[in-house]
Amino acid sequence: MTMLRVLAAGCGLAALLWAQQFKFNLDHLAAKASNAVDVSLNKDMLQFAGKFLSDKDSDEAKAKAMIGGLEGIYIKSFEFSRDGAWSQADLDQVRNQLKAPEWGRIMSVKSSEDNENVEVWVRHESGKVTGIALLATEPREFTVANIVGNVNLESLADLGGQFGLPKLKPSGTTAPEKKKDD
Amino acid sequence: MDWLEEELKSALSRKEPAGGFDERVLAAARRPKTVMLPRRWMAAAAALVVLAGAGQAYRWHRGQEARDQVMLAMRITGKKLSYVQTRIAGDRQ
Repeated sequence: MTMLRVLAAGCGLAALLWAQQFKFNLDHLAAKASNAVDVSLNKDMLQFAGKFLSDKDSDEAKAKAMIGGLEGIYIKSFEFSRDGAWSQADLDQVRNQLKAPEWGRIMSVKSSEDNENVEVWVRHESGKVTGIALLATEPREFTVANIVGNVNLESLADLGGQFGLPKLKPSGTTAPEKKKDD
Repeated sequence: MDWLEEELKSALSRKEPAGGFDERVLAAARRPKTVMLPRRWMAAAAALVVLAGAGQAYRWHRGQEARDQVMLAMRITGKKLSYVQTRIAGDRQ
């Protein structure tokens, strides 16, 4: 019976990692966080959610159109009540999984002004965009996201309130990396 | 034979039933038991309706949760991407 449970748990984990394109390994931060968001939606759940997204609400309509081409959305976001709750090692262990040639960093902002760092990575397979990784940190915030599938960054940024992100070239290559305050 | 035996013999002696007895017994045997079955079916139907309603309510609840998660995910990533775009646009100017 125990073996069956272990096997079932292993299969569940394998299924999750198969869908997710890199591991987060950030559960230890959850205990320190004052606020934690954990989103894990595979393709089936996205399709299911799509049935409940309204066509009348503009944001929901955009989200509905976007998730049609997605295989999964996985996010862990933590807010802390004090500085230093997360370490550079936490960021590095995620970043080190994003290796060439599949992964390429297309944007990176390091702001000493806002004390906020954001990196956007894109995954290519056979010349197609198959996912993005987003790493965003502030002294009291740590966010990692993996959106699996053909992501439209411009539409996604639109949901955040702005237009004008550099577009991905159709050949599969990316726009040149931009850095600020680096 | 005393009087008691006579009484018993008389009471327990074989008597022919009234005419049509066989038909009445067979008809009663063939008649469906219409007293309990409808109640059982009604209870089963009511249980099915309750289960179906509960299933629909649960599905709706899960759908709302999934929808909220999608919108939360889009807002988190959209906000970060929007921040990057704003910084890059500011840098260009």
